[in-house]
Amino acid sequence: MTVKINIPPFFQHLTGSVKIFEAGGSTVGECLNELVRQYPEIKSKLFTRNGRLLKGLNVFINGESAYPGELARPVRDGDKLHITYVMVGG
Amino acid sequence: MTVNTGRILRVNLSSGRIATESVPRKVAEDFVGGRGYGIRYLYDELAPGVEPLGEANKLLMIAGPLAGNTAQAVSRWMTCTKSPQTGAWARSVCGADFGAWLKFAGYEVIIVEGRAGKPVYLHLTPDGCQIQDAGQLWGKDTRVTQSWLAERHGKNTRTACIGPGGENLVKYAAVVSDRRTAGRCGTGTVMGSKNLKAVAVTAARRLTLADPDAYDKLARAQVSTILNNPGFKHHKEWGTTTTQDLTNSIGIYPVRNFRYGQQEGYQQITGAEYRKLRTGDIGCYSCAARCGKVHTVKTGPYAGAHSEGPEYESIWAFTGTVESLSREASIAADQLCDDMGLDTISSGSTIGFAYECYEKGLLKKSDLDGLELKYGDPAPMVKLIKKIAMREGIGDLLAEGAMRAAEKMGGGAEAYAIHVKGLELPAYEPRGAKSQGYNYATANIGASHCYGYAPQEIFGAIMPRPVDRFSEENPDIVIFNQDGTAWHETGIACAFSSGWGWMDIFGKLVAAARGIDKLADGDYLGKVGERMWNLERAFNVREGFTRQQDYLPKRMRTEPLHTREAPGEGQMVSHHDEFLDKYYQLRGWTKEGIPTGKKLKELGLDSVVKDMATKRK
Repeated sequence: MTVKINIPPFFQHLTGSVKIFEAGGSTVGECLNELVRQYPEIKSKLFTRNGRLLKGLNVFINGESAYPGELARPVRDGDKLHITYVMVGG
Repeated sequence: MTVNTGRILRVNLSSGRIATESVPRKVAEDFVGGRGYGIRYLYDELAPGVEPLGEANKLLMIAGPLAGNTAQAVSRWMTCTKSPQTGAWARSVCGADFGAWLKFAGYEVIIVEGRAGKPVYLHLTPDGCQIQDAGQLWGKDTRVTQSWLAERHGKNTRTACIGPGGENLVKYAAVVSDRRTAGRCGTGTVMGSKNLKAVAVTAARRLTLADPDAYDKLARAQVSTILNNPGFKHHKEWGTTTTQDLTNSIGIYPVRNFRYGQQEGYQQITGAEYRKLRTGDIGCYSCAARCGKVHTVKTGPYAGAHSEGPEYESIWAFTGTVESLSREASIAADQLCDDMGLDTISSGSTIGFAYECYEKGLLKKSDLDGLELKYGDPAPMVKLIKKIAMREGIGDLLAEGAMRAAEKMGGGAEAYAIHVKGLELPAYEPRGAKSQGYNYATANIGASHCYGYAPQEIFGAIMPRPVDRFSEENPDIVIFNQDGTAWHETGIACAFSSGWGWMDIFGKLVAAARGIDKLADGDYLGKVGERMWNLERAFNVREGFTRQQDYLPKRMRTEPLHTREAPGEGQMVSHHDEFLDKYYQLRGWTKEGIPTGKKLKELGLDSVVKDMATKRK
């Protein structure tokens, strides 16, 4: 099973400019953990110390918001995940 | 069902004539409201070539069709005019309560014409409008002015006013209401040129809706959606005070007049650090976000400084521009700009220009009233703000903005004036966020981040598609963002709220407020956005604007960006001409950037075809 994680512009410097990462988990959380195993520096940018998604981030599954309970959401083969900041503008 | 297109109050300050009129249904159908009304009336009523600070220019103050009711984040208001900074079409958006109060008094638009012979203010009530003497208010800051008017006319009064900056015709003077500002493009300067110190509205709450029942159901759905949205929750907690954490980390926080994309030691100016100085939250009418974060300085040289803000742009304007890490100085500078009635972005950006000119030897200590503009030292910056507002010493030159100051100075200073069309750049580095940058280049009001913001590049937004922020091949994204912003601003929806998951309800709310069913259709509103953009472009073309004014500053095209520890080192804008060719083609314009007759007719702008045909010859 393969899920494509689109790395957002603000994390690409932590993935060596890799823009798409293929993960094999069955939930959003498992997929993101696989991303962290490959790129450990991204861990503190994604998760709190308790392993929750950091406030200010959201995950979309095939264009649909996974909020709330993002990390427990199931994913299927071929799904596309996008990580975004929830704020807009400044 | 009744139809509510909005009522206009027309005040001629030269003759003292006051009149009211209704917006024709055709205008409401074609332009909806807000910014749509602004460009329709200004295009029709301003003769080409009008002097921005002359008697013939007009200043519009506009509330949206949704303002003053229960829906959230839609009670903002805007000023529209011909800008003294750019000579182009201008709109500037403001928050607080004034938009709602304008509606309570029974008006959606004020059109101010002419020029008063002496300082005056307008006092509006549901019974009408009076032109009152403002002699004793002239010279007073915006806080004193608003307090005085509230005391005189009672607690149900809300005011929009100018400070000394507008009175002294600083080119980037703001209109201030409570502690919010219509900052950009010098609309406060136009107000000052008319000797109009303030507009005070005294009124009690009343609903102005064509279909109150439908509106109420939609507003409840909107509130429920917003309160459960993670973006709303984040915005309520932080406002925009964490954006610099992100922009520094990805190398697009402009430093030293747009030479670096990351500020050394930026960990000292993060949102968490500003939070240590936070003393309250303030919001706009009918918005639960209360995103205005109040900061107070208790110790040190800026002790006593107290401001609703700085928010992201103003944090940058008073840190990155001069490479200062003093949160306290930024709070003091923000307060001073609000008191004096100045745009924080243009103030900070122009001061950043002056610091570089000092570094390069183009401005000397003797030119600067004894000030030494050394990077890292914010003290001269704070002093310069007051000098600019009062046009005192070097402040008289800097009050002209970076572009005009550079032209007057000569000697190569033009290279350090970072602007588009005369409007100074805001807090996102174009070389590290290129669709954002190309929006600056092509925006009808000059380099504004709010006129086609690119959340795809900065926050990873996925609508309409993800983009590579270093790519220069996304003119469709730039257009999507620009036209989207335009139709949001027909209802003057808060730009931040566009990420809170409710925009599919927006058109239905507007339709219920107006009593015009076709406004509920999202595709139709998209067309309205494009219509507005083209009419604004036509306004500028009529004023003599061409492709030549659609370029980013030379620095972005010739000097590589330095990003310290962030990505994007060495990035430049390298394909500007190709981008403009594609952008114009997608817009349906000529290679010179002039809307074609075919495009104008397609958008129902037949009355503009002849004006543009003249310009194409």
